[in-house]
Amino acid sequence: MEEQTETTMAPGERMDVDGGGYVPLQPEPEDDEPLTGAPFVIKKFSPVFFWSWDVHSDSCAICRVMLMEPCLNCQVNNKTSCVVVWGECNHAFHNCCMAAWIKSGSSSSGTAGTGSKCPLCQAEWIIQRVGN
Amino acid sequence: MTTMTRRRLLRDLKKLQEDTPSGICAAPCDNNILVWHAVIFGPADTPFEDGTFKLVLEFTEEYPNRPPGVRFVSKMFHPNVYADGNICLDILQNRWSPTYDVSAILTSIQSLLDEPNPNSPANSQASELYVKNRREYEKKVKAIVEQSWVAFGDDKDDKDKKAK
Repeated sequence: MEEQTETTMAPGERMDVDGGGYVPLQPEPEDDEPLTGAPFVIKKFSPVFFWSWDVHSDSCAICRVMLMEPCLNCQVNNKTSCVVVWGECNHAFHNCCMAAWIKSGSSSSGTAGTGSKCPLCQAEWIIQRVGN
Repeated sequence: MTTMTRRRLLRDLKKLQEDTPSGICAAPCDNNILVWHAVIFGPADTPFEDGTFKLVLEFTEEYPNRPPGVRFVSKMFHPNVYADGNICLDILQNRWSPTYDVSAILTSIQSLLDEPNPNSPANSQASELYVKNRREYEKKVKAIVEQSWVAFGDDKDDKDKKAK
């Protein structure tokens, strides 16, 4: 029985919750039998999800504005296309704030090396992803 | 850029008012948010205890990407403070990070008071005494602690006169 469950739900495979909550994804003839014989019928499946932003801190440590809002500079200039940048150290900032810090030329001073550093942990700044 | 710096400083002020670190007071000048006056109380159980040391912080339009200029207005006797009040502190120079704010700067200076770094002396006399004759060092520090109370009122009067 355990082995069968593993073959129908491979690790990392997602359940199709939008399509009416059909579990498991691929119907297997062997599994169907006990279901039809069950004393109840699932008529509706309403999952409830809790979510949070997948970042360590929800505000930008440079300008102190929430990451989901435009940075201070964009707010001043009425720009709304302000994106967030994640470093490989998993620290996130507004892309504008980070770009201004790197452009200022102070980001690579201090410790050894010439590359820019993360303003929070001083690790070498390598962009992991940019987005919202 | 101008407005951004000012808005960030207002956020610093708000944070300082909501969550004031102990032994620290700071506020911008009435007519210029780029210039702040601050007071650091000497930490308890140190020779600096009970001192009320005044400082001036001068920000540029490049803040927070550049550190402010910070100096003691009150007379100071400390291995890492120059005669003109300027402070030799890595985070105010090459270790600056734009994530620091007024609160972080002043807290760092407060802890520098009792944890000097004699290896980068700004006041060679203070540095030498700190290493070789701690009793004499503490005596000199006590003297500037007492001066900090006297100069506290005088300095303000001077400023008011100049303003008029």
